[in-house]
Amino acid sequence: MTAVSARTGMTLRLEPQPGEVIDRNRPLEFTWNGQRFPAYHGDTIVSALAACGERIFSRSFKYHRPRGLLSASFLDPGCTVQVGDEPNVRGAHRRVEPGMVVSAQNVWPSLRYDVKSVNQVVGRFLTAGFYYKTFIKPQRLWPAYERVLRRFSSGGVVAKDSAHGYYDKRYAHPDVVVAGGGPAGMAAAVAAAEAGAAVLLVEEEYELGGHLRWGDAGQLEALRELRAAVAAAPGVEVMTNSVVNGRYDGNWLGIVQRNLPHVVERLVKARAKTLVVAPGLIERPYVFEGNDLPGVMLSTGVRRLVNLHAVKPGQRAVVLSANPEGDAAIDDLARAGVEVAKVVDGRRGPTIQRATGSRGVQAVECADGTVVDCDLLVTAVGWTAPTALLNMAGDRPVYSERAARFLPSLLPDDVLVAGGIAGDGPLEQLTEHARAVGREAAGRAAETARSLCAGIPQIAERRAGPPDPEPAVALPELPVEDHPALFFSGTRGFVDFSEDVTAKDLIAAAEEGYDSIELVKRYTTVTMGPSQGKLETVNAVAVLAAATGRTIAETGTTVWRPPYAPITLGALAGRIFEPVRHSPMQPWHEAAGATPLVAGAWIRPDSYGDPAGEVRAVRSGVGIIDVTPLGKFDLRGPDVPELLNQLYVNKWSRLDVGSVRYGVMCAEDGVVLDDGVTGRLAEDRYILTATSSGAATVQEWIESWLQTERPDWRIHVTPVTTAYASINVAGPRSRELLGRLVEDVDLANEAFPYMRVRVGRIAGVDGCFMWRIGFTGELSYELHVPASHGLRVWEALLERGADLGVRPFGVEAQRILRLEKGHFIVGQDTDGLTQAYGAGLGWAVKLDKPDFAGRTELVWQSRRDDYFRLVGLQPVDGSVVPPEASQIVLGRGIAGRITSSRMSPTLGRSICLGFVAPSLTGPGTQVTVRLPDGGEVAATVMPQHAHFDPEGTRQRG
Amino acid sequence: MGERAPREAALVARSPIAPAPPATVEQGWEISARRSVARLRLTDATPLAKVLVRAAADGPVARGLEIRFGRAARDADGVLVVGSGPGEWLLLAPPGTAPEIARRVTARADGEFASTFDVTHGRALMRLSGAPASDALAKVCAIDLSDGVTPDGAAVRTSVAKLVTDLVRDDRGGEPSYLLHCERSSGQYLFDALLDAGDEFGVDVDGFVFPGV
Repeated sequence: MTAVSARTGMTLRLEPQPGEVIDRNRPLEFTWNGQRFPAYHGDTIVSALAACGERIFSRSFKYHRPRGLLSASFLDPGCTVQVGDEPNVRGAHRRVEPGMVVSAQNVWPSLRYDVKSVNQVVGRFLTAGFYYKTFIKPQRLWPAYERVLRRFSSGGVVAKDSAHGYYDKRYAHPDVVVAGGGPAGMAAAVAAAEAGAAVLLVEEEYELGGHLRWGDAGQLEALRELRAAVAAAPGVEVMTNSVVNGRYDGNWLGIVQRNLPHVVERLVKARAKTLVVAPGLIERPYVFEGNDLPGVMLSTGVRRLVNLHAVKPGQRAVVLSANPEGDAAIDDLARAGVEVAKVVDGRRGPTIQRATGSRGVQAVECADGTVVDCDLLVTAVGWTAPTALLNMAGDRPVYSERAARFLPSLLPDDVLVAGGIAGDGPLEQLTEHARAVGREAAGRAAETARSLCAGIPQIAERRAGPPDPEPAVALPELPVEDHPALFFSGTRGFVDFSEDVTAKDLIAAAEEGYDSIELVKRYTTVTMGPSQGKLETVNAVAVLAAATGRTIAETGTTVWRPPYAPITLGALAGRIFEPVRHSPMQPWHEAAGATPLVAGAWIRPDSYGDPAGEVRAVRSGVGIIDVTPLGKFDLRGPDVPELLNQLYVNKWSRLDVGSVRYGVMCAEDGVVLDDGVTGRLAEDRYILTATSSGAATVQEWIESWLQTERPDWRIHVTPVTTAYASINVAGPRSRELLGRLVEDVDLANEAFPYMRVRVGRIAGVDGCFMWRIGFTGELSYELHVPASHGLRVWEALLERGADLGVRPFGVEAQRILRLEKGHFIVGQDTDGLTQAYGAGLGWAVKLDKPDFAGRTELVWQSRRDDYFRLVGLQPVDGSVVPPEASQIVLGRGIAGRITSSRMSPTLGRSICLGFVAPSLTGPGTQVTVRLPDGGEVAATVMPQHAHFDPEGTRQRG
Repeated sequence: MGERAPREAALVARSPIAPAPPATVEQGWEISARRSVARLRLTDATPLAKVLVRAAADGPVARGLEIRFGRAARDADGVLVVGSGPGEWLLLAPPGTAPEIARRVTARADGEFASTFDVTHGRALMRLSGAPASDALAKVCAIDLSDGVTPDGAAVRTSVAKLVTDLVRDDRGGEPSYLLHCERSSGQYLFDALLDAGDEFGVDVDGFVFPGV
């Protein structure tokens, strides 16, 4: 053994124990509240500290009372500590590591002398509902109250620069999930696997074995055999240090896995065909005055400490035992050299009255009046069945007076129970029962798999022969043994250690009228702490039952809901998978230092640093913009014109090959849905375009028509948005530039006029199509190039157009250009209420078509004159750009809003589009625009939307 | 017509997925020449010809393809025919063969209303191969990848790392292997997501090897 250099020694470390999990050949050091401590690999944080004589590990939630070990397990409420940057670590569960920096949470100035423990003195005023009653008024002061109260809360701290660990998720589809890796869980898992099931065995502790781990020689031998059987069984995946955190419909299970070297926590989303719940039983604390003093421990806690970690839990003990497990603890204590000063047998009547001491137990006063000096009080008064997963499966467990615990009642077919939660009996009987449960679980899983696969023809057809139904396995009955009902002595003591709720609090709540356990829970917060009722629920029910003169069965329990155990936000978040979309030209944009614009999933160049300069380049020479996100659909089939007529408000019956047409789509309510152009490339081939942001909506809209409304139409629609890289070449010199790259298309105005489409070869790339349209108002061509060659064409345009001053332009320049031209953007200049006429699209709406989407509403709108309209607007002071969404006001009312506004580099003044009330639509009308700072500017309504080249001569040139 | 374009440099098609170095050009595609023998390998298979076929689920074209929705298998010519949807098939074949594949399908139509689309450039395609492939995929895909439910030759449209993806199990050399097919624009995203998921299994990029199907 290597010597350790820490100042403190492991003075309470015992000689090697048969079942110990520490590795004495691997000593290590860590710090606790700044002081170095020695430990062994396999120690928990708290077992290592306890071996060095530490007894206080935290201060309680409300009264800041010193707290020590209780259960020495994951649930231990007094052992929550801060580890480095990680708050709320279960110190009695988390294994200590070399160099770990551990500290107590929320104590000042120190764990030993915490000034906030003054709360104990005023404790009588801090009863249930204290916060609600005291800080409710005046309400405006709540933020101030909150800041102060927060200082008293017991959570740890997270630094703002805390490194984000690797948390992730995984899906699993096991036949059988066994929740709990004690003897019953192991036996059930092995039996299920031997019956052919794929099994996931989940255990909260670091090793399989449950209570066998701290048992006698015979139990340790049984443990070795069971572990060997698990290791040998085919198809059992074991997850230790993991927990089934919730059970949802269809046996959808959330499992938090913590035993992976490279992942902090992984959330496993498992769809189990059957679930075997085998969590064992949790030892219940006893409620009496002083029951939270460090040195008051559960018998299982003592046995864990002695047998797993070889730590002497005290020097002189009093033991209150009401069951054989408690009696076994007496033997363990004797072996550990603890003087057992007195044994109180809980099976024979009165027990103990109180424990006294300041920073730990110093004496115990028994019910018979004797007072025994001691530093350890061990209680073994009974068990809580952790039925949480059963509750989540719809079960309402019933209280057994004989056994003094709850037992399962009606379970769904896909949930089974094994082990102590199901009943009592010797180990052999429980494992035999568990094996039967495992076989039955496998059989039911196979049945489920068969019925699932029968519904999938692709799989069913591969399975040979008729299915053999699995014979049901007879599940043996388990006995339920008598146990004395021991919950509390007197009316003092803590029921909930996490939340600092005492028996008196519960009694007071009942006296105030909160006589239902559900109300008491919410009023006092009992069972709402980190252990979520696993230590507290039954005692809370018992105290309330006594206070209200009812039985425990009549009082009932609260309903356990997920999560079973606390889960980190990291595990819930997992890895961040957020799909993004890039055009083929993205590497070029990045290299050019483009400012990225996040547009839905697309990442686009907003600008290349100088949007105004980019605008001027387009107006005076030529520019190119990557418009790949433009929605594109390849339409084939004889009924395409029918579809177009249905989708668009304008007419589509006659569209010649080589022509393109602008179209507007409205939803059934006449609201503008999308717009774009559709071109006919060949006799039977059309390309329909949608706006970049509207592409997904349009696809759903088209499929909705084809699949549900007109399945008889012979049309095949394929989204080809990303099949083509799309580049708009715009500007008076665009024809000249394109002429250098296009080989087989005559670009002359007469041969390829405005609103036409041609198919050809660009920069050596075949299969391109180009249409003469544009959003900028300039002579322009929209090129659609097979995407794998998009970058080549983009680079060729820039290279070959260098002498023409060609410049790339981004989305911002395009927005300015289109606003100068008065083109609206669906969603920017329209909203969810804008019908076609309001957007100024009356010219496109052909009400003489027998039908199209939105027609009924548009007929109605065409007969009215009471709707706001989209108009071009120019502020009288051309240097002012009213921010988008600025209100247009009339008197005291709102009479419109600015939808788009920019400074126009071409006109040297501000320009806008906006909605105005019907009375303000006349050209030349002056409207008042209210700016966000409260100021007002006047703006003039223009005769048309276009601020620049309203006649459209440039784009037709 | 504008002035005659001078002779262009050789056409090189580029996948949306940046090639892992060293990059090379073969048969008109820029590909990674990296070779890996890692137990989990991810290959950009975008250069494969991809032809989408739409026709009635029970017509002459369907009968000729002999593959129903949800299954995938190679035909007599070695083309991997994927039943990607009801009345929809994706045909995967060696690079450059798309027009020929489309012609062959159209010839079978026999008057039936059927369409073929060359989506070679519109989709990204990648292959995840190796013993831990299913475990890696299970981190980003919710479907049951067990042999009983997703056997070799299964084809499903599902969500992988929150992205709509066509998933085809196409085992190789006795090891699980999956083809993943998505919109081209998200190809790099999906590739990166699979590298992230496969990291714990030692995933490595393995370059494309012709003919690749």
